[in-house]
Amino acid sequence: MKPKVAFFDFACCEGCQLQVANFGEELLDILEVVDVVNFREVMSENGEDYDIAIIEGSITNQHAVERIKKIREKAKIVIAYGACACTGGINAMKNNFEMPEIMHYVYKDDAKYFDTIPTKAVDQVVKVDYYVHGCPVYPKEFVDVLKCVLQGVEYKVPEKSVCTECKLNENECMFDKGLTCMGPITKAGCNSWCINNGNICFGCRGFVENPAKNAAIEVLKDHGLNPELIIKKINMYNTVLDEKLKKKGEE
Amino acid sequence: MQRYYVLNKNKLINFLSFIQSRSKLAAPVKKGEKSYAFEYITDLEKIALHYLPTILPVKKYFLPQRETLIEFNKKTRKTTHVIEFEELTLFGVHTCDLVGMQCLNAVMVEDPKDINYLERKNKLTVIAFECNSYCDEHATCGIMRTFIPSSGYDILFTEFDTYFLIHIGTTKGSEIVNESRLFDVAQKEHFDELNKLRKRKEEIFKPEINASYDELKKLMERACCTGAWEGIFDKCLSCGTCTNVCPTCYCFDINDDIDLNLLNGCRMRTWDSCQNEGFAKVAGGENFREERKNRQVHRYMRKFKYPVDKYNMYFCTGCGRCSRACVAKISLKETMNLLSERIKL
Repeated sequence: MKPKVAFFDFACCEGCQLQVANFGEELLDILEVVDVVNFREVMSENGEDYDIAIIEGSITNQHAVERIKKIREKAKIVIAYGACACTGGINAMKNNFEMPEIMHYVYKDDAKYFDTIPTKAVDQVVKVDYYVHGCPVYPKEFVDVLKCVLQGVEYKVPEKSVCTECKLNENECMFDKGLTCMGPITKAGCNSWCINNGNICFGCRGFVENPAKNAAIEVLKDHGLNPELIIKKINMYNTVLDEKLKKKGEE
Repeated sequence: MQRYYVLNKNKLINFLSFIQSRSKLAAPVKKGEKSYAFEYITDLEKIALHYLPTILPVKKYFLPQRETLIEFNKKTRKTTHVIEFEELTLFGVHTCDLVGMQCLNAVMVEDPKDINYLERKNKLTVIAFECNSYCDEHATCGIMRTFIPSSGYDILFTEFDTYFLIHIGTTKGSEIVNESRLFDVAQKEHFDELNKLRKRKEEIFKPEINASYDELKKLMERACCTGAWEGIFDKCLSCGTCTNVCPTCYCFDINDDIDLNLLNGCRMRTWDSCQNEGFAKVAGGENFREERKNRQVHRYMRKFKYPVDKYNMYFCTGCGRCSRACVAKISLKETMNLLSERIKL
């Protein structure tokens, strides 16, 4: 029997799910091995009987907390899918502000009608079995993770920087082009997708484990970025990871 | 066997066309203001004859970044050993990179022999191109004594105003030169020019580090496990670039990949780096080199101490890639000079 798969979205742009819809012919191979029962973006059926829950988006209000807990109870396997689910993603930028302040900034006087909490990655609320990082996810890595799920083995997110994959692809270094890049402190696994296509790394996969954050700030300063911009660049995808690192440091 | 020939510069294009009629050709091409890479050549005009050391050294043709080692089928439990290779001629290999390949050869020929590497090496033809002056300030080929080509090539090109002086390194090189019918036998005047150039080079290339060639190993032995490294690697991001671009680093990781049907798969090897967080991690989560600076000290020991004990060779070719490519601007030259100031030999 093929495992039943359900896609669910929380606070996100649903762009990561779009990566699946964009697979083209390879999607047929995927559908040979799994049974998709719930996937709002591409089908009308919404089956509630599933083995594998693929979660896009971060947890940003109390309703989402309850909903993700229910999904966790039903699913045998939970996959955090995309930056928002894995690390809080760009939604976590709001955690750098006081809640009332940021609520007012977004909703003005209507802020009182909205319920919000500091952004959480999925694993800050429920146990996560697999991670597919990225904004959006790198399609090949999603397939790799899926293969591990089907085999019942662990998927190890590479413990190295985007630079290692970028060098293997022999791209001209963005720093040599006079640009700056988050590659040196960002988790690999995307095969330096952006740099291969002429863009810098924005760090969407989040920090490497044990990042040399201070050294990275020095490198960016050395390349002409002002300290305020550097912090913003780092916070864009790393706010929750930073919170976790601080907590680990305190322990 | 006649060992020295001359090729008129205007015949270079004919020679390279001749090479293309025999095998695929790879040569340096410009990728950016300061970046070059060895690439397969179809358009000969794209070749950059004068270039800064390429982003990756030519080791990528001997030991590819990623390669399949084994194919397997889970149902039949059959495995097949895979060796991916092709007839390929490398043109324009710098003097320092010849040394890099000799270092790798020493490692790969040892038991257990790396069959994939050795098979692939047999299919490669190396045409070297002698450096007549420094490529830039990062090179340390003066102290490493790697600016004079000695061996490791099939054919060596040395450039003069109107011609290239050719030295034949192997019988394969001799065959190519003879079959092409483009070369003339070198005369006394050419040897005189070569001698003059080599003498001039001895004046140009000077030790860039305040220690002698023989002292480098001693410097590492004394510095290892002391405070001499203090502060040097605080800037390190552990991005792994220095080892990936190094001509003598050969560490790799092995992973299995399987089709979605979970039936057919392959075992892949990919370059790895001692600078990566997970490199020295073992079961139970223990990490033998958890601190970034210890990984860097290890890298230096792997260039100037351990290979000397094992192969009597320094595994630094002086190419300068590690310094050139480091975004944190950690310089091998500066590091070694600082150590030599701090350590009394």
